[in-house]
Amino acid sequence: MRETFTKGMARNIYYGGSVFFLLVLLGLPVDTVQGLPKTDNSENLTEEVAAGKRLWEINDCIGCHTLLGEGAYFAPELGNVYTRFGESTEAIKAFIKSRPVDGIAGRRSMPQFNFSDQELEEIAQFLKYADGIKISKDWPPNIQG
Amino acid sequence: MTSVPENELQLKQASNAAMASLLNLTILPVISFMALVLIYKKTEPGTIGHYHAILGLKVNVIAATVLFLVSALMILLGGFNSPWTWVYVISYFTIVHTLFIVIALWALVRAWSGDRLRSD
Amino acid sequence: MKYESQSVAMLYFIAAIGLFVGQILFGVILGLQYVMGDFLFPEIPFNVARMVHTNLLIVWLLFGFMGAAYYLVPEESERELFSPMLAKIMFWIFLAAGALTILGYLLVPYATLAEITMNDLLPTMGREFLEQPTITKIGIVIVALAFVFNIGMTILTGRKTVISLVLLTGLVGLAVFFLFSFYVPDNLVLDKYFWWFVVHLWVEGVWELIMASLLAYVLIKVTGVDREVIEKWLYIIIAMALISGILGTGHHFFWIGTPGYWLWIGSIFSALEPIPFFMMTLFAFNVVNKRRRDHPNKAATLWALGTAVMAFLGAGVWGFLHTLAPVNFYTHGTQITAAHGHMAFYGAYVMVVLTIISYSMPIMRGQKAGNATAQIVEMWSFWLMTVSMVFITLFLTGAGILQVYLQRYSDTPMGFMATQEKLELFYWMREGAGVIFLIGLILYVTSFFVKGKEVVLLEDRVEAGA
Repeated sequence: MRETFTKGMARNIYYGGSVFFLLVLLGLPVDTVQGLPKTDNSENLTEEVAAGKRLWEINDCIGCHTLLGEGAYFAPELGNVYTRFGESTEAIKAFIKSRPVDGIAGRRSMPQFNFSDQELEEIAQFLKYADGIKISKDWPPNIQG
Repeated sequence: MTSVPENELQLKQASNAAMASLLNLTILPVISFMALVLIYKKTEPGTIGHYHAILGLKVNVIAATVLFLVSALMILLGGFNSPWTWVYVISYFTIVHTLFIVIALWALVRAWSGDRLRSD
Repeated sequence: MKYESQSVAMLYFIAAIGLFVGQILFGVILGLQYVMGDFLFPEIPFNVARMVHTNLLIVWLLFGFMGAAYYLVPEESERELFSPMLAKIMFWIFLAAGALTILGYLLVPYATLAEITMNDLLPTMGREFLEQPTITKIGIVIVALAFVFNIGMTILTGRKTVISLVLLTGLVGLAVFFLFSFYVPDNLVLDKYFWWFVVHLWVEGVWELIMASLLAYVLIKVTGVDREVIEKWLYIIIAMALISGILGTGHHFFWIGTPGYWLWIGSIFSALEPIPFFMMTLFAFNVVNKRRRDHPNKAATLWALGTAVMAFLGAGVWGFLHTLAPVNFYTHGTQITAAHGHMAFYGAYVMVVLTIISYSMPIMRGQKAGNATAQIVEMWSFWLMTVSMVFITLFLTGAGILQVYLQRYSDTPMGFMATQEKLELFYWMREGAGVIFLIGLILYVTSFFVKGKEVVLLEDRVEAGA
């Protein structure tokens, strides 16, 4: 690098740049979090949904599926599964319930989690809530996720 | 290194030529190529500046041919509406483009030290 | 080795390589499950194998970073480690916690693991990459704090160099941002938003500081280039890393229900994210070209150059490929992401850890560099692993493009599972490349045991020209 560009200048860019952008990063969440109620579907965030989210977590669903595009890419997107299944929580529950214990020969299969009816309802409600989150540009591009 | 010390001007020309070549491959295509041609015209044959200007021109002409001609051929042969065309074109373009950038990067650091691409 | 206490790094490096082997074995299992869906089902379902694969990666990279710090900091600070004993204790705690967690994943269903570890008291499990039981997370925090304390005390009471201070900043950042993993709100949007404060600000933020400082250290050692020059590069690289990377977080806030301005912030700043990696390549090429000595450890130099190029390719180019919002609209959460993830992690973090291991291991074993045969074997493993990773990435990219076209772009979109069947050929080829990667890794491990002729020490280069 040119001799006119000194180490001191490089250091100042580093300190100045990172402090500035760190402050911006700390500031923006304030605005984002305040604006969220318009999009985050929190009016439908019931206790049932929260329980469903916990079940989603402790069964590591994200290890195969994506939810709003994040997760593993082994199984279908679930951020819009409520719409894809004809806006029916019953269809979601029936699908989860019907998974064979020993899988399907030669094919990928979702494990049988042996959920109670109550738990099935919670998970379905959680997925319905996730589908209600308003996303920029209406992602995913189509119903297939 | 083994090269003879170059004078300041030639080192500057070599660095500028290599930089223009790199820019043409990355964020400033076409304009940088014109700059490279101008730098080339100012250099004297036999100097390191001349060498790097020619190298830059060669790399960029080859890159343009290999990238655009082959991609265009893929699209022509594969059809614009076939997914497979895009599988090949995008993967091919990305990896080969990057290879040329890496070559141009190496050329730039060689130009900075007044050396040819390969040490003799 | 100048200081006795540097040798604690050896423990960390051995553990890192061991866990690396485990990670790749599970990678091969996962690759097979992509084409033979019922492989090992229901004993090891895909999600469990994936958790093991990604968690082992994170843990062994952390072992690598810690080992690197323990090796490098005493030498930079010109004093013994503040407490070698603490470093050893923390090693065993971390190894035990890591091993127990992995065994937990494999031996009991995940929900049972959550129950045993009392996840209900402070639920943090079940989020991608942060699947560890809460108690393990607390363990990680304790280990990280003790580690940062140990390293920090060594640095602050010794000679302070730019390299050690940048490394310390990166390590402190690593520890601080991990704390966001304890915040798991019921609101899914908030949950995802702050989850990225760990994941993104690690791999596209503070880890880049760690990577750049490790690379700078090895380059000083193997090239003999003036420290002033290297430090200037280091500052400007990490400046660009943070300037682009901090707000680059926004590229994860496109489709999770956050305000629309993130589409712009995320696109613009993440488009700048290749710059630090680009500069790292320029930096590595430049100092190797201007080297003042031919270090007998050719393998370490190869790893250093390799990590610069592959990080640029994997993190820079493959990141840029799908980071702009209009592109990401179609590619988000497809095999394109998987392609990028594989090459970025390998090129940036795996390779930088292997670079410092390659440089320091022979020294800790009492040689300046590995013997000639060992170095040849190591360089073979470099090429096998690196080239096969390029192919893994290319095959996943091909799969991703086809997936995007069939499932998202087409006028008559196909369903997810139907699309997956169309990608089978790519998945088979990826699995083949994965097996070659494993062979490369076996060769790498072998290189530590190969006997051969001692390398001849070369004189420092005579300075010529400028």
